Amino acid sequence: MDSSTASILTEVFFETIGYWYIIVPTIFLGLIVGGIPGFSAANTIIILMPLTLALDLQSGLVFMISLYCAARMGAGIPAILVNIPGTAGAAATPLDGYPMAKQGKGQQALAISFVASCIGGLLTTVVALAAMPILARVGFYMHSVEMIVVMLFGISLIASIAAQDMVKGLIAGFLGLMIGSIGTDVVYATPRGTFGFLELYDGVPLIPALVGLFAVSEAFVIIEKRVIVNHDNEPKAPNWTDTFDGVRIALKRWVHIVWTSIIGLVIGVIPGAGASIASFVAYQQSRSFSKTPELYGTGHPEGLIAPEAANNGVTSGTLVPLLVLGIPGGATAAIMLVVMQFHGVSFGPSLFENQPKVGYGMFMAMAVSYVIMFLTILPLSRYMSHVTTIPTIYLAPMIIAFTLVGGFVPREYMFDMYLALAFGVLGYVARRTGYHVAAILIGVILGPLLEKYFLWSLKKSDGDIMVLFSSTLGNILWVAFAMSIILPIVFNMRRKRKLEVPAE
Amino acid sequence: MKPMITRRTLLGTGAAATALTLATPGLVRANTFPERNINVYVPTSEGGGADRNFRAFSSVWKEKLGTDFEPGFYPGASGRVGYEIYMGKADPDCYNLIFGNMGPEVLNWAMQAPSFDVNDYFYFGQVDKDPCCLFVGAESPLQTMDDIISAAKSRRLNVGTSRMAHPASIGLLALGDKLGIDFNLIPLQGGKGTVAGAVTGEVDFSVLTSGSVIAAGDSVKTLLVFGDNIVGEALDNAPSINDAYDMDLPEMLSARAFGIHRKAAEDHPDRFEILTTTFKETFDDPALMEAYVANNGTPEYLQYAGVEECEAFKQSMLELGERYKSLLSGA
Amino acid sequence: MASDPYKPPRQIGGELVIPIIAVGFTLYFFSTIWNSPWTAQVSAFMVGGILLLVCAIFFVRSIIWLRRGEGTLGFSNLFTIDDIRTGRIGLLVMTIAYVMFIDYLGFTLMTFLFLAISMLILAKGRNPVFITLISGVMALTGWAVFIWAFDTRFPRGWFETTMKAVLTNG
Repeated sequence: MDSSTASILTEVFFETIGYWYIIVPTIFLGLIVGGIPGFSAANTIIILMPLTLALDLQSGLVFMISLYCAARMGAGIPAILVNIPGTAGAAATPLDGYPMAKQGKGQQALAISFVASCIGGLLTTVVALAAMPILARVGFYMHSVEMIVVMLFGISLIASIAAQDMVKGLIAGFLGLMIGSIGTDVVYATPRGTFGFLELYDGVPLIPALVGLFAVSEAFVIIEKRVIVNHDNEPKAPNWTDTFDGVRIALKRWVHIVWTSIIGLVIGVIPGAGASIASFVAYQQSRSFSKTPELYGTGHPEGLIAPEAANNGVTSGTLVPLLVLGIPGGATAAIMLVVMQFHGVSFGPSLFENQPKVGYGMFMAMAVSYVIMFLTILPLSRYMSHVTTIPTIYLAPMIIAFTLVGGFVPREYMFDMYLALAFGVLGYVARRTGYHVAAILIGVILGPLLEKYFLWSLKKSDGDIMVLFSSTLGNILWVAFAMSIILPIVFNMRRKRKLEVPAE
Repeated sequence: MKPMITRRTLLGTGAAATALTLATPGLVRANTFPERNINVYVPTSEGGGADRNFRAFSSVWKEKLGTDFEPGFYPGASGRVGYEIYMGKADPDCYNLIFGNMGPEVLNWAMQAPSFDVNDYFYFGQVDKDPCCLFVGAESPLQTMDDIISAAKSRRLNVGTSRMAHPASIGLLALGDKLGIDFNLIPLQGGKGTVAGAVTGEVDFSVLTSGSVIAAGDSVKTLLVFGDNIVGEALDNAPSINDAYDMDLPEMLSARAFGIHRKAAEDHPDRFEILTTTFKETFDDPALMEAYVANNGTPEYLQYAGVEECEAFKQSMLELGERYKSLLSGA
Repeated sequence: MASDPYKPPRQIGGELVIPIIAVGFTLYFFSTIWNSPWTAQVSAFMVGGILLLVCAIFFVRSIIWLRRGEGTLGFSNLFTIDDIRTGRIGLLVMTIAYVMFIDYLGFTLMTFLFLAISMLILAKGRNPVFITLISGVMALTGWAVFIWAFDTRFPRGWFETTMKAVLTNG
């Protein structure tokens, strides 16, 4: 980095700080829209488009970026407290976040998630800024063949989740994959398994599936209890200790935050790959290399850190292809592109030569947003966690209303509300009879993506299956994938042998 | 082929009906229309290109018509959710219009027959037309059409397109027919993916509507336009396919246009007349160009077309779709 | 594996619901792609094939359990008389009513009714005033966010029309 870049960065930093009056209110707006299932940064920016376009370029960018970061973080809050992931990117968050809330550790869990998100987001922003030219190349190597293996990393979670009863776990996972196959095929657009509904041609809409499986079904379960928090973990008097505990727990695992957020960053810079892939892959990686894989799913802090650090890593990652290649990595980035074009910003390799302040300014806005967000949101965890102490007789109907409404919002079709209800019933039956809802969900979310990359590869090779092993990077990933499946089993067997010998 | 005959027969009746509607003499302007807002069904997502074009156009048109437009966005199934479920249920009373794309949406009907008759609706006013083009990534080893042609001799080239049933795909297949090259189309699901595929090397090159290619800036290089290159430098001065290869392919376009129930135009010729005349007047107002450019439109692409031109374009899409059906639908 | 004498027999009937849905859905899915191009079939047949296989394994396992007397075809893990007592059935009925009638009554009114009636069912009729109040506040907040501020396409009913008239004229 030469001195001119450094001086631009310093200048941009102070300018960005000067926009605090936009950043702070936007963060609160972002947390709210992120927390409402169905709403996201992308559709909020669209709704507020006239406002966004009326702002000057710099203010508009600062607004969009802080909204993007805050909405990502906001989605984690209901995911942890009431098992409602508001976006697909937060779908892995409740796996360990919600069990923590049930154990009365909601406040800690929120603090952990905020720390993981902010550090993960801040760190990846800095890395992205520093390594932008290299990161922009990642997309040139990660083609459909390589992405198949990346998807398999995420999907292999089904097997881990299913460990207690493999047959039932696989039934749940493959049912999810089958449901995920609903819709037209990627290549020739032939409708499949749609029951004749045109609304299903583009696949099962994710938000209704997500909220139905997780939240609606949970609402029917929690009414057995007085409050979400388990009886033997009755909520303590509100205090600050839990927040600091959470911060401490998260900071102690800083290494974990670093590498899972890097996973998010690397997946984020691949055009088209998104937060849902990243959070599941990070969760799977985190579990594979953990010394205590059996604790995952029971309220293990690392199981919460991984998806949250990763999905915020994606946030900074998507800026790289947008700025360097002019290719938006996701829906929010696509809208940023529209707004920037409106202001006459030209993209591609020349952006950093012609308008360096725009490029650096976006990263700076992200970094500043994370810092301000950390300071404003952390104190709130104490108050937010009270949701878990609301008696379920009030909470359950609210969760149902909230989620059915959330299922409707993204496409505004009544059909989607019915769909959320149907998934709720499916999820409830699954829960009561010992099938993992999370396994179904992973199938529904990742299945269509895997199929897409798989079909692209096959179409490109005219149906030759060996195309899967045709690239060097792909083969390296295959080996890594095999290792991440085999090694934990080996470790586990060794550990078990050590434990079981004295026990028998 | 039975459906073909039915379609053609109906097309004839439809065209005759349109002609009749237009020829209805002594249209008296009923001052009562429009008494309320006009609903517009947009069969794509909010925030997309259609949204921006619609906003630009309706901001001027509403002044001429003296009423507001209320857009509703109904994406899904290549527009069919909007056409079949929502527009299909709306009253044919000239208060319900559809803002569709005569290229990809109509082409899709040729692949999978929709539940409605393709002549239940017709387009009466084109807002803009955006020709498709062929482009490579800035770092691609293929930098000219000659590179592509010679590379195609040694292997089958993979070509990104946003979806199989798209005018851009037809443009490429027609080029392949002419040059005797068997291109392998890879549908990369949408404009973003198609540009990204060409830039990152997922595919050898891509074909797409030129608006999205212009937006990608210098990450891509355009080599051929499946229509007239009226923007010149913005598309790297790429030649038209007809000039370069001595072909007579109709322009492969994404062309956004307002459509209406045929029944509405037949039952309320007075209302329909008001719609068409105010639509035409909108084009005469310089405010339209300002609004269009302010909404990111490429000024050269703002081009009026009336009922007959729209109908002719729709027919050419249906016919080309029928011709390339087996390649585009795998059937 | 010896069965635990204190544990009630495994309720295989309930556990079979998901695999039966899975098999039915997979067969239906196959029927829709029978004559489709290979791109539509390849991964669906792969995934569906494995799903049918694991379901078959589960069915065999269930038959073995039933024969050994380790399980019954009961449904008590899925449905018990307790579900009526706790108000779960009532909540389910209200949820279905919510999506069915929102088209007629409009978003705000139906949300209010859903919240109030389901809370009353779950609370067994206690605190009616508080419940009415909180449901009203929630429904109005929902109206303010989704109808007034964001103007989403939620079904409009009597309440929304009235409020619109009030807001435009008052």
